[in-house]
Amino acid sequence: MPPVSPYRRARPTELNFEDLVRPQVEYLYRLAWRFTANVPDAEDLVQDVLLKLYPRTEEMLGIQRLRPWLARVLYHQYVDSVRQRARSPVLQLVTEGDGEDDPLDKVPTTREGPEEHAERSGLRDLILDALRQLNPEQRAVVTMHDVEGYSLEELETMLETPLGTLKSRLHRARQRLRVLIPMEPFSVIERVSR
Amino acid sequence: MECLDFTSQLDDYLDGRVDEFPMREHLNVCADCRRRFQHAVAVQSALRKLSPPEAPPAFLEQAISRASRPNAAEAHPRRWAMLGMALAASLVLGVAAGVFLSLRGAPVQTVALAVERPETVRMVFNSAKPLQAATLSLALPENIEVVGYGPRRELSWQTDLREGQNLLQLPLVAHGAVKDELLARLSHGASTKTFRVKFEIAKTDTPGM
Repeated sequence: MPPVSPYRRARPTELNFEDLVRPQVEYLYRLAWRFTANVPDAEDLVQDVLLKLYPRTEEMLGIQRLRPWLARVLYHQYVDSVRQRARSPVLQLVTEGDGEDDPLDKVPTTREGPEEHAERSGLRDLILDALRQLNPEQRAVVTMHDVEGYSLEELETMLETPLGTLKSRLHRARQRLRVLIPMEPFSVIERVSR
Repeated sequence: MECLDFTSQLDDYLDGRVDEFPMREHLNVCADCRRRFQHAVAVQSALRKLSPPEAPPAFLEQAISRASRPNAAEAHPRRWAMLGMALAASLVLGVAAGVFLSLRGAPVQTVALAVERPETVRMVFNSAKPLQAATLSLALPENIEVVGYGPRRELSWQTDLREGQNLLQLPLVAHGAVKDELLARLSHGASTKTFRVKFEIAKTDTPGM
C-alpha cells in the first residue's frame, strides 16, 4: 500500500520566497555594497537580484547551502550590470541661462589632483576609491576571498571560474590595491630604529 | 631565498599556500620584504575593516515585496525609485563609469537610439553645492518613452542632489522618428536650469524582412 501523506495546502510562492530571502537579504546587501562601493548601486543590484530570484523560488527551496548560491547570482548580476553600463551612453549635460551665484551652476568636472585627493580622503575613502579602480571580476574576487573569507576552491565552484584564473585576478587586484593604498607599512619603533 | 622569490610568493604566503619556513627566514633578514609584507597585511586588514553602511530596513522590505508581488511592483514601478536613487548616486557613479560621451560646451546633447530598442541613457547633472528636495521634471518628445511609464510625456519628482556630479539613469525607448527635444528641468527654490537632449533615431532591421 502506498503511504498516505497528510494533505498540505500548497504554500504560496511569495511566502516561500520571502522566507528564503529575508534571512539572506542583509548579506546580499553587504556583498552588493562591497562590490559596487556605493549605496545606490548596491540597492539597485540587490533589487535586480531579487527580481531574478523570485521566479526561481522552487529551485531555491531545493538548495542546501543557499548563501553561496545567492552570492554567485549576485556576482553574475553585478558583472552583467557593469558591462551593460559601460555600453550605454552618458550625456554630460550643460545648462542654459546660467546666472551668478546660482547653486545649480556647473562645477569643474576634472578629476582632483593628488594633493586635493589626500586632503579629502580618509582611509575609508581611499580604500573605496581604490576598489572602484579594479575591474568587476577583480573586485569580486578580492571581496569574496579577502573580506568575506571564501577560499579560492570555494570560489572556483561558486563562480564557475578556474582556480588559476581566480588566483591571477586576486594577485592583480591585490597588487593594484597596494599601489593605490599607500599605508604606513612599518611601525614607529622600526622606523625610528632605522 | 631572493627578494624576487619572496615577492612572487607573497600572495600565496598570505593565503597559507606555501611553505612558511623559508618565507619567515627571509623576512627576518630583509627589511624591504618585511615592509612589503606588512604593507600587504595592512591593506588586507583595512579592507576587512571597511564596514558597509547598515541596510535601510525599509529598502530591504520593499525590495523583497517588489520582487515577490509583481502587481505591487507595477503599482509602484521600480524604475521610479531607481531614478531617484540613481540621482543620489552622485559623483561616484559618474566618475567610475569613465565613459562620458561629453560634448563639453555644446548647447544640446544628442543621443542615438534605435527604434523599439530600450537603452539606458545616463545624464550627469552638476551642482555647485548639495541641494535638498530639488525638483526634476522631464518633458518627453513624441515617440520617446521612459520604459515602464507608457505614454506619459511629463514626469516630475523630488530628489536630493549632492555637490558635484549627479547621475540620472533613464531607460528610454523610441517608437519612431523624434522631431523634438527632451527637456529636463532642474528646479530648486527660485532657480531653474533646463537641459536639452536631441535624438537621432535609427531604424532597426527586422529579421526575415
